[in-house]
Amino acid sequence: MQPTLELIGLRKSFDGTQAVDGVSLVVPAGTVFGLLGPNGAGKTTTIRMLMDIIGPDEGEVRVFGHERTRADLDRIGYLPEERGLYRKMTVREQLLFLGELHSVPKKELGRRADDWLERLGLANRAKAKVEELSKGMQQKIQLAGTLLHEPELLVLDEPFSGLDPINQGLFKDVLAAHRAAGKTILFSTHIMEQAEKLCDQIALVARGKVILSGDLATIKRERGGNSYRLLADDDGERVRALPSVAAVVASNGSLRVQAAPGVDGVRLLRDLVSVVDVREFRSAEPTLEEIFVKAVGDANV
Amino acid sequence: MSKLAVIAKRDYLSRVRTPGFWIATVAIPVLMAAWIVLPSLIMAKSRGGLRLAVVDATGKVAPALQREIAKLAKEDDGPRVNLRLEIVPPAADTAAQRAALDARVLRDEIDAWLWVPPTLFADNKVEYHGATLSNLMTLGALGRVVTRVVGGQRLAAAGYDAAKVEKLVAEVEVDQVRVTKEGDKAGGGLGDFFLAIGLFMILYTTVMIYGQMVMQGVLEEKANRIVEVIASSATPSELMAGKLIGVCGVALTQIAVWLVSFLVLTAPRLMASMGAAPGGLQLAALTPTVMAHFVGHFLLGFIFYASFFALVGAAFNSPQEAQQLVSIATIFLAAPFFFFMPVLNDPDSTLALVTSLIPMFTPTVMMLRIAIKMPAAWQLAVGYVGMVLADLAMVWLCARVYRVGILMYGKRPSIKEIWRWTRYA
Repeated sequence: MQPTLELIGLRKSFDGTQAVDGVSLVVPAGTVFGLLGPNGAGKTTTIRMLMDIIGPDEGEVRVFGHERTRADLDRIGYLPEERGLYRKMTVREQLLFLGELHSVPKKELGRRADDWLERLGLANRAKAKVEELSKGMQQKIQLAGTLLHEPELLVLDEPFSGLDPINQGLFKDVLAAHRAAGKTILFSTHIMEQAEKLCDQIALVARGKVILSGDLATIKRERGGNSYRLLADDDGERVRALPSVAAVVASNGSLRVQAAPGVDGVRLLRDLVSVVDVREFRSAEPTLEEIFVKAVGDANV
Repeated sequence: MSKLAVIAKRDYLSRVRTPGFWIATVAIPVLMAAWIVLPSLIMAKSRGGLRLAVVDATGKVAPALQREIAKLAKEDDGPRVNLRLEIVPPAADTAAQRAALDARVLRDEIDAWLWVPPTLFADNKVEYHGATLSNLMTLGALGRVVTRVVGGQRLAAAGYDAAKVEKLVAEVEVDQVRVTKEGDKAGGGLGDFFLAIGLFMILYTTVMIYGQMVMQGVLEEKANRIVEVIASSATPSELMAGKLIGVCGVALTQIAVWLVSFLVLTAPRLMASMGAAPGGLQLAALTPTVMAHFVGHFLLGFIFYASFFALVGAAFNSPQEAQQLVSIATIFLAAPFFFFMPVLNDPDSTLALVTSLIPMFTPTVMMLRIAIKMPAAWQLAVGYVGMVLADLAMVWLCARVYRVGILMYGKRPSIKEIWRWTRYA
């Protein structure tokens, strides 16, 4: 299956600062793809180039199997980090405007706008001006405006920033439904826990470069190293004494055991069983945060 | 519908639907109507007249005055003043009589009294005492009548026939006829002057107001953070052009309402039904040619200044930050105020020619010249070509700044930084 989105060697500099330095990535169809990295890593610039809001100095953007054209933008739903609505427009007009802007057929448009207002519980506010709505309601309208044209690819820049908990839940539900419908989502975030819960695939970006990318589960497994989580009747004393154990850290009532070099999981477990009563033993995957910090260190950028 | 049309439509409708727009649109024709109709109404009302007591110590002035005023009232084209005289014989006690007359004025039995002293023929002075002295037209007319009466008396005393002399020294009227390609146009003069100033003012104000409206629109889109949402489906050029077209449509709607009301209000039949034009003023006809030039100059002037205002809106984050560059645009737009009088006075002067061919002044100054006296065709052509070239350069420059500026938040950029944006790929 051809990927929904491909970025090939994107570069962009502003006044001599290299904001994006050769970013390439592939987003397969039907995946939730996380573009991760700290603030200032070049995520927003990359996304803006993908949306043709700014032109790249070098590189190519391919969507739906071909080089991106302006017409393709009508098939993409974009939620920028800096987002908002016309304050003086009424809710329904706002949706109609955003729909028209994405070439939604006129006869479809009114029905879709009403459907969304119904779904979000805002049907009775259709004629209210945006500025009369609460911040939370405005965020819902914004989301509806992004999805009104039923995009095949969703591009969300820091979608959860500034959302209240209820809307965070709503956004997650909408993303899940979108994915369940076989559509593709690319979103950027600097909060690793969020990405960890939502993404199938990730790309880690630092200082304009992709330093790690691929399937999240695979990355975790590969970067798991040789450590294990152990639940046992011990505070660490007896375990630490074993020659096959390099280090032990206690956390949350369990132990994180680092095997000595050359010791595999089977040998470690056999040794452990001989000294403590093992109730649970499993491979300890590193958090994305840990992987990221290590990857940045390794890449030395 | 193209993205450009969607944006232009939104910008147009969101402004035309506001009450503020219609208040401004209707206010001007209402003022115009008031300016044309009110003087006639006021004059009709003033036929109630001034109640004037005349104390004539010479015994020669009052009866003649009465006759003259009666004659004046019958004339149609004279100043419409109506004086109702009450001739009061002079009393022995002058001071007491003057006090009594003052008292009558204060009791509102009369509006004023005229004191004709016995020394009138020697020192040429009468006294006027009134509750108000601001009725300048009436006072002027009274002064002229008294002068004529006294002059007549003097001529008679010297043995001349006053009526004959008056005929001999009658003032020569200069009938003003303006020569234009469309044929001679009687009247004109003052009317042309007002028409020229009116068109000049409307051009200046609309370009100024609607140019700034473009800027506020862009600033608002930045402040609301909606600009990037739109920029993801329309190009910055479509966004900027859509806004210019939408706002320009709003301006043209307003101008159309104004021009139509002007034509209706100054229609010959309507003017006739209200009697002669106020104060002897004949309104100049707004010919289709002049109107077409007006729209052309407005459009080209608007594009020039509104693009610049769009640049300013995109570059900054608030009206306060934008102030410095707004004042630069204002200086250029308002500069013709410094030389519009000389241009009006001599529309063929070198000053008029040179300033009307400088593209940023062309819209206002050339319009002024067109309304006064149609400039040579080559001058009009050079003016238009100059404006089109200036517009192209301005739009190109502004679009380059605009596409970068709309994504820039935070710190106020320096002029140097804004200039650097134009060189981004």
